[in-house]
Amino acid sequence: MFGKLDWSAIPFNQPIPLITSVILILGILGVLGLITVKKWWGYLWREWITSVDHKRIGVMYMLLGVVMLIRGFADAIMMRTQQAVAIHSAGYLEPEHYNQIFSAHGTIMILFGAMPLVIGLMNFVAPLQLGVRDVAFPTFNSVGFWLTASGALLVNISLFVGEFSRVGWLPYAPLSETTYSPGVGVDYYLWAVQISGVGTLITGINMVTTVLKMRCPGMTYLRMPVFCWTTLASSLLIVAVFPILTATLAMLTLDRYFGFHFFTNDAGGSPMMFMNLIWAWGHPEVYILVLPAFGVFSEIFSTFSGKPLFGYRSMVAATLFICVVSMMVWLHHFFTMGAGAAVNTFFGISSSVIAVGTGVKIYNWIFTMYGGRVRFETPMLWSMGFIFTFIIGGLTGVLLAVPPADFLTHNSMFLVAHFHNVIVGGVVFAVFAAVEYWFPKAFGFRLHAGWGKAAFWFAFIGFWVTFTPLYILGLQGMTRRLQHIDVEAWRPMLQLSVVGVAILIVGVICQVIQLVVSILQRDKLRDETGDPWDGRSLEWATPSPAPFFNFAVMPNVEGEEAYWGIKQRAIDTQQLAPEPDYRPVEMPLNSPVGIYTAFFSTVTGFALIWHIWWLAGLGLFAAFIGFVVFAWRDVHEFEVPVEELIRVERGRRAARDAFLERIRQGEGAPS
Amino acid sequence: MSELETDLHRHGGIGHEDHAPGDEPHESVGHWVRNYLLGLFFAVVLTICSFWAATSHMIWAPAVPVAIVVFAIAQMGVHLVFFLHITTGPDNTNNVLALAFGVLVVFLLVTGSVWIMYHLNHNMMPTDEMMQMQR
Repeated sequence: MFGKLDWSAIPFNQPIPLITSVILILGILGVLGLITVKKWWGYLWREWITSVDHKRIGVMYMLLGVVMLIRGFADAIMMRTQQAVAIHSAGYLEPEHYNQIFSAHGTIMILFGAMPLVIGLMNFVAPLQLGVRDVAFPTFNSVGFWLTASGALLVNISLFVGEFSRVGWLPYAPLSETTYSPGVGVDYYLWAVQISGVGTLITGINMVTTVLKMRCPGMTYLRMPVFCWTTLASSLLIVAVFPILTATLAMLTLDRYFGFHFFTNDAGGSPMMFMNLIWAWGHPEVYILVLPAFGVFSEIFSTFSGKPLFGYRSMVAATLFICVVSMMVWLHHFFTMGAGAAVNTFFGISSSVIAVGTGVKIYNWIFTMYGGRVRFETPMLWSMGFIFTFIIGGLTGVLLAVPPADFLTHNSMFLVAHFHNVIVGGVVFAVFAAVEYWFPKAFGFRLHAGWGKAAFWFAFIGFWVTFTPLYILGLQGMTRRLQHIDVEAWRPMLQLSVVGVAILIVGVICQVIQLVVSILQRDKLRDETGDPWDGRSLEWATPSPAPFFNFAVMPNVEGEEAYWGIKQRAIDTQQLAPEPDYRPVEMPLNSPVGIYTAFFSTVTGFALIWHIWWLAGLGLFAAFIGFVVFAWRDVHEFEVPVEELIRVERGRRAARDAFLERIRQGEGAPS
Repeated sequence: MSELETDLHRHGGIGHEDHAPGDEPHESVGHWVRNYLLGLFFAVVLTICSFWAATSHMIWAPAVPVAIVVFAIAQMGVHLVFFLHITTGPDNTNNVLALAFGVLVVFLLVTGSVWIMYHLNHNMMPTDEMMQMQR
């Protein structure tokens, strides 16, 4: 009846997961209870859960990403402390448990932390910058989000029911085959990643279509902000490589469920083929994460330097160059396989060549600041911290791209330090910068600057204190994923690294305080004009928080830096552009099909993990019914009356008029 | 998703018309019937040719795989032109670019994988030498 599921799946004899899960379950029940008592369910259902608004979906992606980031950070704290105490001793984490933690840390941070954060940004920002009212397929977008959330839920269920994968963030065969991993851990990984992978692919298709087909009048390709270009490149990569992931994991699933031999040692299987295929996805995947991050920095450097971006066209070219070349480097993850010189040389050179595209970008950002009037707001601090961090991460990357050097550092702590250096320094810093930068557009008030700066400095210093020791340990020969350590000489560096983690924790606390303080002081931090940073692209041409229809009238773009042009004209002529002709707008209706599909996907995934076949069939059937009902829907749009558009737009114009009035009286520059 | 296509046209008013897959120019029904029948004819002929090449002895035996590859590529062309309606017209730029990108990705993955797997153990130490070192 319940397949492999019985009471032994609950970890009654392991205190750490048991206590964590009990606290988590109590916390979730508490939140649900609060929502019920306060009668928020109706609001949540109408305004968020069934919303097809790209901004709401973007915010929900960010929320999911932040929650999972905290979960992954908790895993990181356990790993660092375990290694610091487990020198000539067993430490406090059992080997089985420790292996689950590092596997969960990697899986969560990349697939359920960084991916939702980056996709959330693309969702929120790109349509606003393109001057359109929504993405190409709004309901599809909602389905994509809820499928991603479904995958994240499955990973977290594994904490309480059964176990998670113990084989690393990529389930390397043959270790992940049933011979060596008979439990449900790898199955949790497979189904969680498959379901959320579908969600990611949906987003990729959606964003490619949006950028290619849904730009406002006059927004030609070479007038798009760089963030839109990076969104396009990143989404193209998603469409190109996520099917490889799906196919590879499907083959591993066949191996595990039906006794196939794609990646086994015997019967003609090839474990190296798994490494080959998974990295053919895995390497482009990190560019999927980092390209939108480059887009964020491009926007921020230009805004806070008060200058157009230096070398816009070379930036676009570098983005597309990285997009293509990133698919030709994957072998550098297994230089030590034993390939001949020709293969290793080719992939070594192609990996190094990526640094050319990235270098172009770095110089462009530096030259954007050069001669500009730089404002050291919090987003700018994160961006400058990024340049420093990312250059060092990039240089160690070029070192690792040299095959003979890689043979010495392969799977060492040096590698661990390198990829944290580029992913934390690149992607995570970008996400924090972007949250500071676009928060007013989402919620109508800025985040508190002082706490934001404190958070930056603690995170920046904490990062370096954590990872510099890991570089040194790697060069001293320490390999990754050690549950306990027999070399006394590594003790000081491991303990120093824990100090860094402590500083990082202070940074995280600062960010939480920043959010609370900002909400309390929201009236003081209110963004009245819709343009808090003196921005240059179209998202600042609409009020904050952005109305659900984005723009009362579609903007008409007449050059690069669309909004900067409009603003300069208004300042030059001392008046706003004449009021346009308002027409009613059609917007897509909300739809519960996203959460409905995701609910039954979760049920199906859980059933497949535990071999509950009838429930899997039932879940699939129910999800299909949802699709059929949705396909037969007759009314899918509603009309926003002109009065509503005029009300929102007049409010913005009044604020802008007051702003012009202040300039006229010479009371001060734009804030 | 017909409502979305109208949306795309309304908003994507840049440059000339650009067709999405499945978004066909207006032609008479007869045109499409003829088009699909012609496509079917070519596809069937090419399929029969492949079987014929493999079973008859008209082609020099070592050249049979080459012939089948040629027929397969022609088959792909027929499908692209008659069923997926890829043309060289300016309204088809996006479709052609998407196809080119897809072909590039598949090419990189397949040739890369074959090359890498061919090199699987070029520099692997022979087992007996490894045993020597362990001793």
